[in-house]
Parts: sequence; structure tokens; C-alpha cells
Amino acid sequence: MIKDENTKLHNSVFQVLPWVIPTVFIILWTVVSETGLIPTYLLPHPVEIGKAGYTYIFLNPGDAPFAGRFLNDAGASLIRVCSGFAVAVILGIPLGIISGRLASVRKLMSSTINGLRSVPGISWLPLAMIWFGIGIKTTIFLVALAAFFPIYLNAAAGARQINPLLLQAGAMMGVNRLRGTFAILLPGAMPHIMTGLRLGLGISWAYLVLGELTGVPNGLGAVIMDARMLGRIDIIVVGIIIIAVMGRASDQLLNTSLRFCFKSARRMS
Amino acid sequence: MKPKLAPISKACPEIQGPILEINSLRKVFHTNESSLTVLDGIDFSVNKGEMICILGRSGCGKSTLLKMLAGFLSPSSGEILLDGKPVADPGPDRCVVFQEDTLFPWLTVKENIAFGLKGRTRDKKAFDEEVERFLSLVGLSEFRNYLPREISGGMKQRVALARVLILKPEVLLMDEPFASLDAQTREEMQNFLLSLWENLSHTIIFVTHDVTEAVTLADRILVMSKDPGRIREEIRVDLPRPRKREKSDFLFFSRKLYEGLRE
Repeated sequence: MIKDENTKLHNSVFQVLPWVIPTVFIILWTVVSETGLIPTYLLPHPVEIGKAGYTYIFLNPGDAPFAGRFLNDAGASLIRVCSGFAVAVILGIPLGIISGRLASVRKLMSSTINGLRSVPGISWLPLAMIWFGIGIKTTIFLVALAAFFPIYLNAAAGARQINPLLLQAGAMMGVNRLRGTFAILLPGAMPHIMTGLRLGLGISWAYLVLGELTGVPNGLGAVIMDARMLGRIDIIVVGIIIIAVMGRASDQLLNTSLRFCFKSARRMS
Repeated sequence: MKPKLAPISKACPEIQGPILEINSLRKVFHTNESSLTVLDGIDFSVNKGEMICILGRSGCGKSTLLKMLAGFLSPSSGEILLDGKPVADPGPDRCVVFQEDTLFPWLTVKENIAFGLKGRTRDKKAFDEEVERFLSLVGLSEFRNYLPREISGGMKQRVALARVLILKPEVLLMDEPFASLDAQTREEMQNFLLSLWENLSHTIIFVTHDVTEAVTLADRILVMSKDPGRIREEIRVDLPRPRKREKSDFLFFSRKLYEGLRE
């Protein structure tokens, strides 16, 4: 890569930038709590949140309500997110690529996909509970359903916008369909595919909580629901922050591993 | 530079016979209401090792003709024979250098050159040597690890040349490959192409709208007219190479071609 001198200076500024908004937010939050502008029964003091978070994450189970549930909850949620997301990827990318390249498949799918896409996930919840009962299957179904659409649509857009001359160049160099798909089509569509995967993973976390609100014993969504029942607003806020952090971390992990695995992800975005 | 001896194939084409034969080729494009005849009655043949330029103004169907030779478009009627066999699909025996940048943006210079050769040989060492040979043939050994977006337009076209030459095509098809380069780079690339051609003696069909380019390069120039696209005349350029643009015989050919294009 070619870099000029200015980017060095920019880099150090860029390192700090992501932390600016959270820091300002916490400062403002502390100010409104200290001055009593917002009463603590609506929004607890940041220090209280810190204590509740410490209890939830580090203390042993039985020490206090919610103590030590973190590992169990996070593990359960992670498995559900990953399974649902994996189902969405396995269906979404191949179907998306095919419908991006074949007008007939695109016609076949478009009304159905665009119709289903506009149904809010929450309206699937009662049906999913009847079909799959309460628990992991319902959650995975909801996550997979929600993550499928952005993954499919972006893969289709990526396959469709690829420069036809690249495919012609491949054909004249004697590249067959199979190799053309993996060596030209997928790398060419990679920037779009990445966007779809990241959007899909983000929405997976949203639907995870939806799926866990329905009486499963563990999971980050379940903890938020339990805390609401018990009026523990501090634990609700802890749950929200943990989901935000895990969502951000999983996005970073996805991005990094795609770049690690694929030249096209590394070199084109 | 002393002009090199022409390879035998060029000296006596009648013995070698044509490698490519185009017989009464016609292409009609249909829209909903009307049909447009883009090419009509195209007949010519190309001898092995020959450098042919197809010269015409924009819209005369010269790119359509090249796309049919490449197999990207099929003729409405007529036939294209390569070594006596009809041409149907695109294939590595008829490689194209496009006007546009068609390198794979996610591959380095070296990977782009190696792309078409992959899977053709089991011998890793021979494969690497071949890639190295073509990297240095186009003078890009030092740029092997650069991405296409990091190199100049002239360098990109050299990569585009190397990635097809490495496949040893029977015929090299070039679709205004230097049209988007600046004047100096274009001249450099023309000289570069000539020196490659003198060493490797490929058969080249070069489409251009640039009279000077055609006279600089071609053994034979096919001048096209439009509506419908036909070959108006065929001009044999029997000037020794390298050809000097200021010389009177060069200018004689240029003037003749300009007149041919204007009519």
C-alpha cells in the first residue's frame, strides 16, 4: 500500500475518534445523575451500573441476585446468534449470488423476498413459538430469518453489479463456470457480501433478544426480561451495554476474519 | 535499431495458408420495433504471424467484429474459421486485450498474469518460471506485488498483454487497447507491442480508429465504412520497420487512409 505522510498524523487521531461519543455520553450521564436532573429510579447513577455489572460478571452465583450469571448467559446467547447467523449465511449467499446472476431466479424470488422482508420479526414470534416451542429453536429461527434478508440482498446486488468485462476476460482465458464463480464472481462481489454479512450479524443480535424474551432460562435477553420483572433497572442497563459491546466485538471479529481469509476482502475495502 | 528479418510465415504467407478465415459475416441487432444491420458481407483472412489493423470511425462495427472473433457475440450469418474449425465460444486460443481496465482488482500484477495459467500445469516450478518470464517480458518484475489501482494505465495494459500472451493464443485480438493512454505512452506501447511481436511472432488483429497507429503497426489495414459496416478497402503497408512518422512514405499512407475514412 502507498501511504503519504499525512496519514500518520491522521492515524493517531483516528485511534481516539471511536471513544469520543461514549466518553462524552458517560460524562453527561454522570452530570445528570449527580445533579438529580433525571431521578435514579429512571436512570441509575453510572457508578451503580458499574457495581451491578461487576456483580453480574465477576461475583460467584449465590452471592447476590444475578451474581455470576454472565458467562452462562453470554455463552448461551453466543451459540444462538452464531447458529442463526450461520443458517442465514449458508442460505443467503448462494441464493443471493444465483439470483444476482440469473434474471429468471431473480424474478422468481423478488416478490416473495420483498414481501416477507417487510414483515416485522416480532410478528413471527407467536408462530415460531407454536412451531418450535420456547427455547433455542425459536431463537435460532428468528435470528436466521432476520439475518437472511440483508445477506441475500447484498450478495445479489454484488453479483449483479460485477463488471461483465471481468467475466468475459475470465471466459476468454478458458476459465470454466466453477472456477469463474469462486475466482471471479465471489471476489468481485466481496465488498457487497461483506456489507450484507455485517448488517446481518448486527440484526442477529437484535432478534436474539427478541427470541430470548419469551421465557428461556438463560441468555442476555432473558436476563433483561428477568431484571424487568424484578424492577432491577440497573441490570437492564448492564444487559444493554453488554449486548452493545458484544455486538461491536463480533462485528470487528467478522471483519478481521474475512480480511484474513480472503484477498478480495483485504484489498478491495 | 536494425529491422529484424521477418519470420518465414510472414515472408511467404501463401505457403502457410490463413490461420483465420472470415466468410460473408453478418451481424444484425434486433430491438423491439426495428433491426439494425451492424456488419454485412465481411470477408477476409489472416495469415499466421500477420499484424492486421482494422481501421474505422466510431460506430462502424469494428468492435462488434472483434467481439465475434473472440466469441463473445455470435454472428447472424456467415462463419469464422480458426485453423479450419468454426469458432463458437470464447477461448484461450483467441485472447483479447480490452480498451478498458479489465484486470482483477483484488489480484496483484503477478497474480493477474498467472491467473489464466492456473490449473494448466502440475509442475509448480515450471509454472513459477513461466510467470516470471512474462513478468520480465513486460518489464514489470519490480511491480509484481502492486495492485492494479496502484499502477499507471500503460502498466495496466502491459499486464493485460502478459496475462494473455502467457496462454500462447493462436490469435491476439486487441480492441483499441491504447486509446485511453496519453500520446507519449501510446507511442511507447506501440513500439513495445512491435518488439514483442517481432520476438514472439504472434498473429495480431488490432482494432483502432487512429490512422497513425494503424500505419505504425500494420502489415495490412482493413478500412471499414459504416451503415452497414463493411470493409471498404484493404491496404498493404509495405514500409520497413521501425517506421518514422515524419517520412514521406508514412505520410503518403496516412493521407490515403484519411481520405478513405472521410468518404
